[in-house]
Amino acid sequence: MRDDRHRWAAHDGRWPRFDAQGISLATTEPERQTLISGPSILSHYPGAIEWPDIATDDSYSLCLRRDRILRVNGLEMPDGWNQEQEQAVSDASDAYTVFDLSGPKALDLLKHGAELSLQKPSRSVARNLFGFGVFLYRYGAEDGYRLHVPRAQAHPAWQTLTRQAVRL
Amino acid sequence: MTSRRTAEGGLIDRSRPLQFSFDGKSYQGFKGDTLVSALLANGVRVMGRSFKYHRPRGPWGAWIEDPNAVFNVTLDGAELPNCLGAATMLETGMEARSVNAFPSARFDLKGGLDLLHRWLGAGFYYKTFIWPDWHLFEPMIRRMAGLGELNTDLIDGYASDQLHDHCEVLIVGGGAAGLAVARAAAEAGQDVVLVDDHDVAGGRLYQLDSVEGQTPRDWVDDQLAAIEAAGGRVMTATTAFGVFDHRLVGLAQQGAFGTAPRLWRIRADRIVLASGAIDRPITFADNDRPGVMSLDAACEWLARYGVLAGRDIAVLSNNSFAAPAVRMLARAGANVTEIDPTDGAIRALGGKRLKGVEVAGKRHPADTVLVSGGMTPLVHLWRHAGGKLDWCEQRQAFLPGATPEGMAAIGAANGSFDLDHALAEARAVARHEPRPDGTGTYRLTPLWPKPGSKGRQWIDFQHDVTLKDIELAARENYVSVEHLKRYTTLGMAPDQGKTSNMAGLAAMAAIQGRAIPEVGTTTFRPPFVPQPIALYSGPHAGQLYHPLKRLTLEAQHRAANAALGEYGGWLRPGWYGSGDPKFHIRDEVVTARKVAGILDASPLGKIEVIGPDAERFVDFIYYNTVSTLKPGQIRYGFMLTERGHIMDDGVIARLDRNRFLISCSSSHTDHVRAHLETWRQDGNDPDRIFIHDLTQAWSTVTVTGPKARDIVAALDIPLDLSAGAFPHMTLHYSSFDGTPVRIARVSFTGDLSYEISIRSSRAADLWQALAAAGEKLGACPVGIEALSVLRAEKGYILIGKDTEGETMPHDLGFGIPRQKKRAAFVGDRSLHMEGANRDDRKQLVGFSVEPGAPALPVGAHLVGEGERPRSQGYVTTSHDSTTLGHPIALGLLERGADRIGERVTAWHQGQRFTATICAPCFFDAEGERLHA
Repeated sequence: MRDDRHRWAAHDGRWPRFDAQGISLATTEPERQTLISGPSILSHYPGAIEWPDIATDDSYSLCLRRDRILRVNGLEMPDGWNQEQEQAVSDASDAYTVFDLSGPKALDLLKHGAELSLQKPSRSVARNLFGFGVFLYRYGAEDGYRLHVPRAQAHPAWQTLTRQAVRL
Repeated sequence: MTSRRTAEGGLIDRSRPLQFSFDGKSYQGFKGDTLVSALLANGVRVMGRSFKYHRPRGPWGAWIEDPNAVFNVTLDGAELPNCLGAATMLETGMEARSVNAFPSARFDLKGGLDLLHRWLGAGFYYKTFIWPDWHLFEPMIRRMAGLGELNTDLIDGYASDQLHDHCEVLIVGGGAAGLAVARAAAEAGQDVVLVDDHDVAGGRLYQLDSVEGQTPRDWVDDQLAAIEAAGGRVMTATTAFGVFDHRLVGLAQQGAFGTAPRLWRIRADRIVLASGAIDRPITFADNDRPGVMSLDAACEWLARYGVLAGRDIAVLSNNSFAAPAVRMLARAGANVTEIDPTDGAIRALGGKRLKGVEVAGKRHPADTVLVSGGMTPLVHLWRHAGGKLDWCEQRQAFLPGATPEGMAAIGAANGSFDLDHALAEARAVARHEPRPDGTGTYRLTPLWPKPGSKGRQWIDFQHDVTLKDIELAARENYVSVEHLKRYTTLGMAPDQGKTSNMAGLAAMAAIQGRAIPEVGTTTFRPPFVPQPIALYSGPHAGQLYHPLKRLTLEAQHRAANAALGEYGGWLRPGWYGSGDPKFHIRDEVVTARKVAGILDASPLGKIEVIGPDAERFVDFIYYNTVSTLKPGQIRYGFMLTERGHIMDDGVIARLDRNRFLISCSSSHTDHVRAHLETWRQDGNDPDRIFIHDLTQAWSTVTVTGPKARDIVAALDIPLDLSAGAFPHMTLHYSSFDGTPVRIARVSFTGDLSYEISIRSSRAADLWQALAAAGEKLGACPVGIEALSVLRAEKGYILIGKDTEGETMPHDLGFGIPRQKKRAAFVGDRSLHMEGANRDDRKQLVGFSVEPGAPALPVGAHLVGEGERPRSQGYVTTSHDSTTLGHPIALGLLERGADRIGERVTAWHQGQRFTATICAPCFFDAEGERLHA
């Protein structure tokens, strides 16, 4: 039974853009994030983003595992089991905080936290980055990256990324 | 002065003198020196004291293999303990102090301990400090044990940078073989990384006059230039300290002294081990005297640092490497005498000052004795990777045998001690061609410890393990090398067997009359050389060491003056207010019972099980039958381990025919999700069941208390909240301010409660609305501490607090599913085993304490009355209940359910407390308030 309120930096829920060392970090808010699972989900969503694919559209799907995708800015779908499509659907829009990371040193920063190589493809965008389970992929440009971080870990993940960035 | 700086030679920069001190005395060295080479250049020989006997120690080796010169080093206010002096590059202003010595290595007050050596053999402390009590001696032993001292002052900014990378070929070792293979591979177009732990690559090459027609320095520079020109990367001052699964190599890259090394985790398609070999000692009487050194080390000091180890040198070597070494030392001005160590018994003469060596009764005056017992390939990393070792009779050494996938050993690490052979082998490996035939010209006469021989003969210089200790261990049946190591401390700590292992194994083999390979080696484990803990922690320090999960509503809680603390991996409000927490907690409890409390319950798990087999699956996962739930209904239940023990509890709601919502314990969510995923794929059809963890997508605010309905109603939620339309243990969908919400009537307090879940981005609005509505009626926010009291009054348990690792559902009074459930479920079989049916199982009970009596301490053992004290159980929860006006407690007690009404004694740290055993529910046993 301890009062540790002062031991943990307060977070007011705002994410001021970070620019330093050739790196930009900011949050973005996709309109919708939808978890969709199913036995043949990848064939339903061909072109789901893998590593090191670059997502360029506003609406796209992320390949999480052989039976699961995260649909970003897709059409609204009812939660639950879709018998016709054989898909389990859940709106996860508020489950993940989304960071956009870009700049010439962005990949260097990421390599501090995960085993990443543009030459080593991966079917899944799920990664352990600095100890956080995130979805990481390239977005918009060769040196642009997008991270979906579990909401409750977004603040420490942001702290980790910005502290590491200034040490580059 | 015996050792000295030569007039020329070496790789040091003589134009850059560096000032430093050792044990308080000032010295000068040069840029490029190590601490040890600089001290030797100044004629210093005693650089440390041994671990147990505090015997004076001089350096044995010229690099990381040296076990003797261990220093605490301070520079610019940064103090690092236990630096290997032979591998610490000199910087101006360094203050080095020998460890395990006071006031100095040369004169150590504890040096007299050596006189007691007859009573301080291996394992003496196991036998000696038994009577009257080990704990009397323990503090003194602990003070004396260990090497070095930790400075408790933190070094500003001492944090390791950590990087991940990949390459096609990683070459460990920048000697002749390593450089050759790196160049050949890089020029063949491969992505090459070459790592070498020296500042200057080249290994032992600088001992040679020429390499392929060039000076060693030119040859090395040419190779490095060619590697980099072909796109290869060269990392000097970088130690490969471990090889892990799937060819992940851990590298520690040194920076300036006082800065943490950088950790590289490099995944390589192929690892080439060119880590070289080290000289090993010869075991003879008093072979630990300062001045008895490795012959190869003496050559390294001369070649790299321009330091001649002695003036009158006796060389004892059993191998063909001695001749060029003798020539090199003589050419530098030493008087060198070669002595055959196989002639007979050997004894070093002198004490701190070496006077010579006696072999077969003949005395040979000398100020330095250089020893070479044969080369030992450095195969540590090979073994980390799972490679096997083969014994080579010709080289009398273990060499890399069966190859781990994607790994190769070359050069001296592979027993290729001849330069030409090593270069040819390296180039062949780079090109994936067959290796050259032959084993080279290296020859040696086996020379191993001789059990029973006279004198104190050191096997492990650092830990004072002698041949007699090995013999003693064998007599006491510690004949396995792993037992030998632990009984005698042979090869432990920084040495990790580099200098001591072979002699120790050979001694044990000789004692048992077995061949050395039959005795085998101990296990090689990372790190190859000691590394600071900061290397591994990297950025994970302070708040980022184990970051807590953060609530969406944290800002609202802070604004409400919440005292935040860790609860199950989340930063949550413990109570609201400043000052004495007991006051605030009591106030929150009273308010919640009289009016209502508002609680942030967002961390509660919200895991959805979806699919056509979801119904069958949740029946399988839960101890209770779930399939009978209708959509909108909720049930409390347990998940069990396969052993039938309770893993988690919570409620499960049926959302529709193919969809269930599991609300598990806040701290168990990740575990429960993994548990579900595991069973989904084991014995179930994973294409018909899917697990979506949406815990963080939804935030949950709970309103609990007699006025809860009024507060929720104030939100204008379009829902009939009456008990008839919305009974306990049901769930409804509705909306708040246009946003969908899920409202569940479940309670963890025993009072009327509504859990309202909303998408997290709208949680702040919901919280503010409820807080405002509650305030009008006199309600207040409540933290986890008040909740803990409220739930205890009702007898609701916390898994892991009120249960232990062997608690089963029937121990908590939930026995019916065990008897009647027909569907198979996880843990079913174990609930019918003998252990599950013992009549003395610990069962959950309550304890009633009389008003005015002290509350029972949590953890107190329940010992019964009038009996010989024996723990029959323990108190798991205890509170002074304001609601009830007396202390209450929960606990696990043998046969507790049959002992209701008995008096029981609780014993805690010498104090006794009494209480009456009762049912665990203290509040509203009929459930009128719950169902209101």
